[in-house]
Amino acid sequence: MADAVIDAGPRRAQTAVSADETSWRGSAGGYLFLAPWLLGFFGLTLGPALASLYLSFTDFDLLGTPRWVGAANYVRIATSDDKFVAAMHVTFLYVALAVPLKLAFALMVAMILNKGIRGLPLYRAMFYLPSLIGASVAIAVLWRQLFAGDGLLNQALALVGIRGPSWISDPDTSLYTLVALSVWQFGSPMIIFLAGLRQISKDVYEAAEIDGASRSQQFWRITLPLLTPVIFFNAVVQTIDAFKAFTPAFIISGGTGGPIDSTLFYTLYLYQEAFAYFRMGYASALAWILVLIIAAFTALAFLSSRYWVHYDG
Amino acid sequence: MNRFTLSRRSVLGAGIGGAALAAAGRVPAAAQSDVRLRMFWWGSKERAERTDKVNQLYQQAHPGLTIAAESLGWTDYWPRLATQTAGRNAADVLQMDYRYIFEYARRGALLPLDGFQPDRLNLKDFAKASVDSGKVDDKIFGVSLGLNSSSLIYDKDIITSLGLKEPTWQTTWKEMGELALEITRGAKRDRYTGLQDGGRDEPTLEVWLGQRGKSLYTPEAKLGFDAGDMAEWFAFWDDLRKRGACAAADTQALDRGEIDSSLLTQGKVAIAFAHSNQLVGFQALNKSKLGLSTFPDGGPGAKPGQYLKPSMLWSVSAQSKQPEAAVKLLNFFVADVEAGKLLGVERGVPPSDAVRKAVTPMLDDLGRAMADYITLISDKVGPLPPPPPRGAGEIATLLRRVNELVGFGKLSPADGGKQFVAEATAILARG
Repeated sequence: MADAVIDAGPRRAQTAVSADETSWRGSAGGYLFLAPWLLGFFGLTLGPALASLYLSFTDFDLLGTPRWVGAANYVRIATSDDKFVAAMHVTFLYVALAVPLKLAFALMVAMILNKGIRGLPLYRAMFYLPSLIGASVAIAVLWRQLFAGDGLLNQALALVGIRGPSWISDPDTSLYTLVALSVWQFGSPMIIFLAGLRQISKDVYEAAEIDGASRSQQFWRITLPLLTPVIFFNAVVQTIDAFKAFTPAFIISGGTGGPIDSTLFYTLYLYQEAFAYFRMGYASALAWILVLIIAAFTALAFLSSRYWVHYDG
Repeated sequence: MNRFTLSRRSVLGAGIGGAALAAAGRVPAAAQSDVRLRMFWWGSKERAERTDKVNQLYQQAHPGLTIAAESLGWTDYWPRLATQTAGRNAADVLQMDYRYIFEYARRGALLPLDGFQPDRLNLKDFAKASVDSGKVDDKIFGVSLGLNSSSLIYDKDIITSLGLKEPTWQTTWKEMGELALEITRGAKRDRYTGLQDGGRDEPTLEVWLGQRGKSLYTPEAKLGFDAGDMAEWFAFWDDLRKRGACAAADTQALDRGEIDSSLLTQGKVAIAFAHSNQLVGFQALNKSKLGLSTFPDGGPGAKPGQYLKPSMLWSVSAQSKQPEAAVKLLNFFVADVEAGKLLGVERGVPPSDAVRKAVTPMLDDLGRAMADYITLISDKVGPLPPPPPRGAGEIATLLRRVNELVGFGKLSPADGGKQFVAEATAILARG
């Protein structure tokens, strides 16, 4: 292949070759540079994905050989799996809370930072930091320090005479501590919002001010509509991420999804079936259902976008 | 083009030359047959340090042999081992548990060790029961690293400072509850209780059932108890919880059942349900002096609930490319006196007579407490139950969940008993 790249130039100049060949020769170098990614995509993504599609129709316990069971796994998920229902409930609640809150918070911080504060790069980096360490075990420890029975939050509450529960391990509140964790990691949507805000022309605001529009009118009538492409992008990315959320619940609940399945994210349930109870076939079926759910939501977002996303600035 | 290929080849040649030069410095080592063994176990940092010392000793005596060691906590260990085994990438020497050895052995993941006796593997001075505990279908698939049993591990300092009596093997469940309540009242610390919530703990339930003449599972892999037993069990703990004798549900939920997250280590309870060999690991993380006692007594007429079991076993992977070397290393761990001295009783009291005799005199207080404990209970234990059926791991998780449902007031103990039996039966049926 390397030879081909080097030879391509002179030979094309000398002889007339067919259009197909020309385009192949022209793009060979491109494919060469793509090769590491292509290898990774076919070997590490597409291959295993197809394998899991096959496994989803089998009974496979990791140690033995997969046994074909047809659609039995899917049938059980659809008809008689209470844990699946519980996991769906937790996951949808999480997505419905975490995504809008995180986007709203990210937008708020981006708007504050957009006011031309001194030392902007420093703040930007500081606010981005939680997103970098988000998946680490240190967070589990930190969140425990904050939200456990004798944690910081309860110590603060005790000052005003309130005795709080152990937020992180009470089934009625544990999911909200995970939502808080997600909102706290607002770094990447914030950066994107910030870039979006900077693209909105100052002229528009000046014109609005001259016309006597208030700050809130400016926000609702100018900023928000002009920002919709960025909001759309962030919403799609964050929704997909939220459906796939795994690490926070895994590290904070110690892999149990507890107490009483209150933090049993879909992916955590999938993980338990696969790696705690060794039902690889069943877990593969669960994984494909998640793929379908995410695809459906993404499609829905794109279909709805024509009604609320404005690309003309 | 030729020229190009040629130059590429020469570049390659130069590279090999360079590598050869770089390797020249290490020729003496490379001259001997290089063996690289991988070893994998679960356990605390304390265990890792002891194991590494034995590995260093072994490597010094066997130049050219290197041991790549890897360890994880209990919860993470089994998924990793299963994945590695499925990927044909399991470690040569791996730590097995009685709970899993049948599944792994019967699926051909472990190497039968009988053929290596007595030259490579010397189990001559092992008690028969110890050797048998590693047998599956009459073949040896694991070598016991030590005997242990369920045990309470408790904070001696706080119990004595409150002027209370430490639990003994005659303390009944009811008395244990009273003791715990007095500790809670005496200690007066925020969210601190005498006892952990044992209602969610499978080994604790097993002992309690054993004392009633029942078991977790029958030899036919069915449940060995009924909804009535479970209702009583959940009610016992619910009562302790409500009276403040054992940890509240939201405090207990932070305990993942490993030493570092245990409520005893977290300074939230005085008495925890554990295994006797874990005393060493617990003490390493606890400032207070710790004591060891049996699980509570079943009262007059009760059957023995506890049993002695292999704390863990060493097995050799069937996929090992150096089975001979792996078995020799395994043998060093269980039969060599020097290795035994380094390991102490952290994995349990050594089953080899010679090793135990060498280790006993040099034990510290902790080690002696453990050895004494095993001696104390030897005539009070029942037989080793059959290994748990498939789904037992999921049922252990279920126990935790239903106990939480009761603990957080979402189910009555009676309904909890019914739900537990219904779901556990379904899990066993599914396998």
